[in-house]
Amino acid sequence: MKPEEKNFEQEQFTLTMIPGAFARKLRTCIIFQLFRFAVINIKMLVVVSKSH
Amino acid sequence: MARLIVMGGGVSGHTTATFAKKWLGKEHEVVVVTPNSKWNWIPSNIWVGVGQMTKEDVVFPLAPIYKKAGIDYRQAKAVSIHPEGKDGDDTPYITIEYTGQGKEGQTEELTYDYLVNATGPKLNFDATPGLGNGEGQMGEHTVSVCTADHAVHANEELQKIFDKAKKGERQKILVGTGHGMCTCQGAAFEYIFNIEHEAKNAGIRDMLDIKWISNESFMGDFGMGGLHMKVGGYVVSSKLFAESLFAERDVPWIIGAHVNKVEEGKVHYELLDGTMGTEEFDFAMLIPPFSGVGIKAYAKDGSDMTDKLFAPNGFMKVDADYTAKPYEEWKASDWPRTYQNPDYKNIFAAGIAFAPPHLISKPMKSVNGTPINPTPPRTGMPAGIIGKAVAYTICDMIKDPNAKPHEASMAEMGAACVASAGKGLTTGTAAAMTVYPVVPDFEKYPGTGRDTDYTFGEIGLAGHWIKHILHHMFIWKAKLRPGWTLIPE
Repeated sequence: MKPEEKNFEQEQFTLTMIPGAFARKLRTCIIFQLFRFAVINIKMLVVVSKSH
Repeated sequence: MARLIVMGGGVSGHTTATFAKKWLGKEHEVVVVTPNSKWNWIPSNIWVGVGQMTKEDVVFPLAPIYKKAGIDYRQAKAVSIHPEGKDGDDTPYITIEYTGQGKEGQTEELTYDYLVNATGPKLNFDATPGLGNGEGQMGEHTVSVCTADHAVHANEELQKIFDKAKKGERQKILVGTGHGMCTCQGAAFEYIFNIEHEAKNAGIRDMLDIKWISNESFMGDFGMGGLHMKVGGYVVSSKLFAESLFAERDVPWIIGAHVNKVEEGKVHYELLDGTMGTEEFDFAMLIPPFSGVGIKAYAKDGSDMTDKLFAPNGFMKVDADYTAKPYEEWKASDWPRTYQNPDYKNIFAAGIAFAPPHLISKPMKSVNGTPINPTPPRTGMPAGIIGKAVAYTICDMIKDPNAKPHEASMAEMGAACVASAGKGLTTGTAAAMTVYPVVPDFEKYPGTGRDTDYTFGEIGLAGHWIKHILHHMFIWKAKLRPGWTLIPE
């Protein structure tokens, strides 16, 4: 059984979504996260600029 | 020369005082009254609480910073406000009681031309029997990460739990809110996932039962009535977003819970459906509810008029619409814009110290009539923006008493929030979120109450990097180091 499928055994978790191996890997993939770092910073700066 | 007194030296008070002093120069006086000798970057306390930072990493002494800035610093707590002065003298003043500077216990009257209440919250541990010690401080059964000292203590207790787990003793960890009217679920959210992350790193995750307990009626409410955000091209509710992370990390939850009693190793709680329950723990971090710090207000004749200046919860009344009305009639325009007291135009409240007009989340009561709902969060970014707007207003009013106040409504400002889910340069993760506006405006954004082009969230290492960078950036800014004014609130 895959790790993400194991938790669906618990009744409380059955209606949510649990990331699979690829999604989990992307979360700590340095190259992908460097790109996301730039994107998130731009998005946050836009919100900050709209708020001042 | 005008004198501005800022009561409180946290995010909002520090922002107000430092900007006001920078803009007013030597011509006018800025006084900061705060009982604390050190400034604390509170968002990083959760890392102190798991031993990934030390207390010294998240605090610094205020005195040298204020000396450099030319700010008159009084290490004292504000006791009372006298906005009409006293018999024979109309000059408004406050009374303070020193907590340091070698004058502990001494009282003093300080007159003011402008007053800013940025005292933040009182950590009201005693609202829940057993959560407090009966004397206003944290009790002995649970820990907290609300202050740097609390976080140091939390880590000491956590390490004992980890040691037991390493010896093969199964341990129960409970993290969440310690009362039905708590706010600040975000800090507990960060702490539970940092514990889980550190347990994994220590190889003892399978020896820990980690559980979440919260007053939110649904996961991801966060005191903001939840939110809908862009994730992977979808508009997703924060409920799904939060539940997904809890399920992934194998952390079950109890929600809609009012913790009504804490004992050694056990909490008692009431749920929205009226059922009562208990949960045992070996280690519990429960956030206390917040209230105002308890400053009194007196009229010229010495009569108590605290209820004129302050709401029943102890937070200061400002230009909000405090008319009691049902949830369906709440509007974004109920929220304050200038943070000016309606009766005394030279008094302002910034950050957590202002009284919100009502909740943001839908009000909930258990079938027994117990209110169980998160109170509105006022995180660092709104607190800083409000503090800066108040500083602008006061500087303008000193030059022209009829100047138009600057505005910073939480219904028109966004917030960037980075919630750590584990620390590590290459292994850390955090939920990076923006929300715009903080207070939903269902007239302007009829669908979700917010602009989904500017409300997004994602979990990953990039979020962790951002949180770590923000830690250094905001401490740099608070220390007034070169370029500090260029760093936005």
